[in-house]
Amino acid sequence: MIRAARRTGLVFFPAFDWAISPSHPEREERLLYTQDQVLEEGLLDIDGIVEYRVRPATYEDLRRVHFCVPDEAAVTTESHLISAGGCLVAADAVLNGEVESAFALVRPPGHHSRRVVHGNRGFCNINNEAVMIEYIREKYGIKKIAIVDTDCHHGDGTQDIYWHDPNTLFISIHQDGRTLYPGSGFPNEAGGPNAQGFTVNIPLPPQTGEQGFLFVMDELVMPLLEKFEPEIVINSAGQDNHFNDPITNMNFSARGYATLNAQLKPDIAVLEGGYAVENALPYVNVGIIMAMAGMDTSFVKEPNYDRDYQNQPPEITRNIKQIVEQLRGLFLEGGLKILPYEEGIIVERSRDVFYDTDGIHERQHEKIRCCRQCAGALAIASTSNLGQHILAVQIPVEACVACRQVGLAWFEEGTRGAFSHVYLQDRIRGVYESI
Amino acid sequence: MGGTQTDAVLIDKGQVVVATKTPTGQDLLTTLRIVLEHTLRDVDPARLNRMGFSTTMATNAIVQDRLEDTGMIVSAGPGMDPEWFAVGPSYHVVEGCLDHQGFEAKPLNRAAVMDAAGRIQEEKIKVIGITGKFSVRNPSHELRITDWVGSSFSHVAMGHRVSGLLNFPRRIVTTYLNAALHGLHREFLEALVHILNEKGLSAPRYLLKPDGGTINLDKSIDSPASTAQSGPAASVMGALALDDCEGTTLVLDVGGTTTDMSVVLNGTPLLKPHGIRLGPFQTLIRSLMTHSSGIGGDSEVRMTEKGALKIGPVRRGIPMAMGGPAATPTDAMITLDLLKTGNRGFAKAAMEAVGGPLGWDAATTAQRVLKHMAETIAESAKAFICGINSQPVYTIHEVLENQKIEPTSVLIIGGAAPQIAECIGRALGLPHRFPHHHGVANAVGAAVARVTSEITLQADTERGSVIIPEANVENKINSSFDIEQAVNLGRELLARRAVRIGAEEKGLEISITEKQVFNMIRGYSRTGKNIRLKMGIAPGLIPEWKRSH
Repeated sequence: MIRAARRTGLVFFPAFDWAISPSHPEREERLLYTQDQVLEEGLLDIDGIVEYRVRPATYEDLRRVHFCVPDEAAVTTESHLISAGGCLVAADAVLNGEVESAFALVRPPGHHSRRVVHGNRGFCNINNEAVMIEYIREKYGIKKIAIVDTDCHHGDGTQDIYWHDPNTLFISIHQDGRTLYPGSGFPNEAGGPNAQGFTVNIPLPPQTGEQGFLFVMDELVMPLLEKFEPEIVINSAGQDNHFNDPITNMNFSARGYATLNAQLKPDIAVLEGGYAVENALPYVNVGIIMAMAGMDTSFVKEPNYDRDYQNQPPEITRNIKQIVEQLRGLFLEGGLKILPYEEGIIVERSRDVFYDTDGIHERQHEKIRCCRQCAGALAIASTSNLGQHILAVQIPVEACVACRQVGLAWFEEGTRGAFSHVYLQDRIRGVYESI
Repeated sequence: MGGTQTDAVLIDKGQVVVATKTPTGQDLLTTLRIVLEHTLRDVDPARLNRMGFSTTMATNAIVQDRLEDTGMIVSAGPGMDPEWFAVGPSYHVVEGCLDHQGFEAKPLNRAAVMDAAGRIQEEKIKVIGITGKFSVRNPSHELRITDWVGSSFSHVAMGHRVSGLLNFPRRIVTTYLNAALHGLHREFLEALVHILNEKGLSAPRYLLKPDGGTINLDKSIDSPASTAQSGPAASVMGALALDDCEGTTLVLDVGGTTTDMSVVLNGTPLLKPHGIRLGPFQTLIRSLMTHSSGIGGDSEVRMTEKGALKIGPVRRGIPMAMGGPAATPTDAMITLDLLKTGNRGFAKAAMEAVGGPLGWDAATTAQRVLKHMAETIAESAKAFICGINSQPVYTIHEVLENQKIEPTSVLIIGGAAPQIAECIGRALGLPHRFPHHHGVANAVGAAVARVTSEITLQADTERGSVIIPEANVENKINSSFDIEQAVNLGRELLARRAVRIGAEEKGLEISITEKQVFNMIRGYSRTGKNIRLKMGIAPGLIPEWKRSH
């Protein structure tokens, strides 16, 4: 009998009865062929690979992360709750010690969902990883968590949610935003005033291949993790860097993903994007599952690999080397200029957010209290062309007394203002209010 | 047939008119001959119109490692290393690959196939199994290998005929078993038929399968592995015949060494989603959802050092009341006068020996033994139900429905059912009952179970093919092929297949167990439809039995 070297949990939820729209890439059969391949390989018979049944997440699980406008029911469907819930099942399996690591193969994805949710952005409504992380913090008291996002698109939603949190290291490896949606994720995006250096963006040029990705892992990602010393590592396992992917321009492979995963050894991996549903996902997912289980993946290969895979051109190799050197300088060798914000001052910024899937325009004005004790009180005023004008106030996990008072005051003040809704997320008391 | 005992019944007009129990001897055929003599003593052979058998021939051959030397030729392609699944004395992986849709990704290497066949022949091996990855999506590679080398062997088993389910390692193993059991099964059938003919028994003959269905004796030669381990299924089908099993019934067969558990939902037994395990082999053979727990009437009873009762999983032999070596729950029943057999003095002594150190008398010990036995069985049954309820689901609909199996009653069968039923009912907190003829329920099941069969259909309009691997059918289709046509084709082929293996054509109850249609899209336009169907005849009882009840 074949045995997994590491006990691995698998939460598989293909949602065979859900699609954004009939011809949308995020549709019923996205994981059909992955399921075929996983079943045909016999992966579920391996001693040490355990499949779990999903459960839906609750609105309270979402409220630890999101401000849904006007409410959760308006911006989510059952599929979003089950997809997020699948991640919670994976987290429980790992943190209860039933398995050493787990992979939540769920859809729809989540990493473009931000803290404030008016609708669907980049196929995402609910940020599955963030919902899972805040559940882990609440239930298991874990503090330091690292997220490595290997989706081809910048994980801008996850970046937004953890922008101010110095206990979450967010690393995103993606195709350069000048050439791909959502157009963000540059090295100068490095975290808010209270979490400078805890967001690391690694934009890579189109045509980056196995060699480039693995070089970035060796030289940048692994040293960053070593320095941060997280209690838990999460992989946002998007699979659209694949050479067969129809909507991106990268050159990664199933074997590459497997090698990356074997090196990263995430405690929990969560599926994100990846839309080469027939000729990439089945092989990448088999590779990731086997790698997580500590099995030899040298036979995992796309049927068209020998014909279609191309090594990255030398100029790309040189380009990646420069990027890695620049980022090492900034994040590993102390080159990042840390701005000395004075304790207690309020820093503000304004942003426009476009929801491509739902065609919503949102304008945000954000206030953060600079703080050395905690992630800082946060307030976001948000207006959308759907007519919503809301205020969302967050008092973060382990907030200090001062930040908590400021947050409560902002909320109080907001209820007297002209907002259509005012929300409070108080992680100290575990209270979520909306007025 | 069981490991220690063979049960037989003669049924007339829906009534058990003769029931016999015979020790199972070394030679199954000799045992069968004796059983037939016992059971049919006063019967005119010409009056029989049906015979059903559940035998341990295939199981024994597997467990005792008496399988015929078998060569395997396997084509795999990328994924797990196919060498990990090596089975049998001469296993060969050849180049060639199909993808999950059945498209050829790499052609078969003819030279490698010929070389593998040559090496198998050099080892004087006469039977082979041929298995390809994704062969249920496109059997052409398996067929081509058979075409090239099949004539050099006395028998060839092919993977796609085994089952339409996806699972390459299990397909390899099941193909191997079908090939390796072929000769033994043929010999067994010939000898059995010889005995039956000798006795003038010419009525239709059926063998029971682990899914609770039967197959015509002659036709079973195509898939001998699917006649292994039919014992638990015999009990479940017997329970169903002797009791209507309305609601959600937990069926417990309390035997000598083990207690077998299963669930019947409104008259239909639950099936396992994957195949059964036979000895060390995980197969694709369909089976009822059963679980065997190592506790029964002859299990050893002992007291641990900490003063706790422990029953099973070891069986030392017959109960002490019958002259056996160790105390058993049967001794407890005899002590309490629930069972009038054996030497009651020996039984009491057995109980005293167990409970004595704690100052319990024989009756107290006996009561506690039975209570503990019932609680152990109840715990095991709860874990079994919990396992069924935590099986994954893959659609939103199923998550929201959240259908859970919650037994509404427990039905107990086996020789000791009347003695233990009440204790078990109490331990489970469920209404309990046991049927008349509870001691030979398994033989009743083997006699009145109907033929089952199932097919898996996949249509891919992009590839232009519909395939039903179990029925050896692959047809060309055009882009307008739809779900309705798929269902009709499935029904027709399933019915034909069922009739071929012994079912009566009239009144076939066909059910669709899975039905999915996916659009296949490239870019933003539809390139085809992918239709998936699973249909079958669920385990049930023959119409004659139903009519007489």
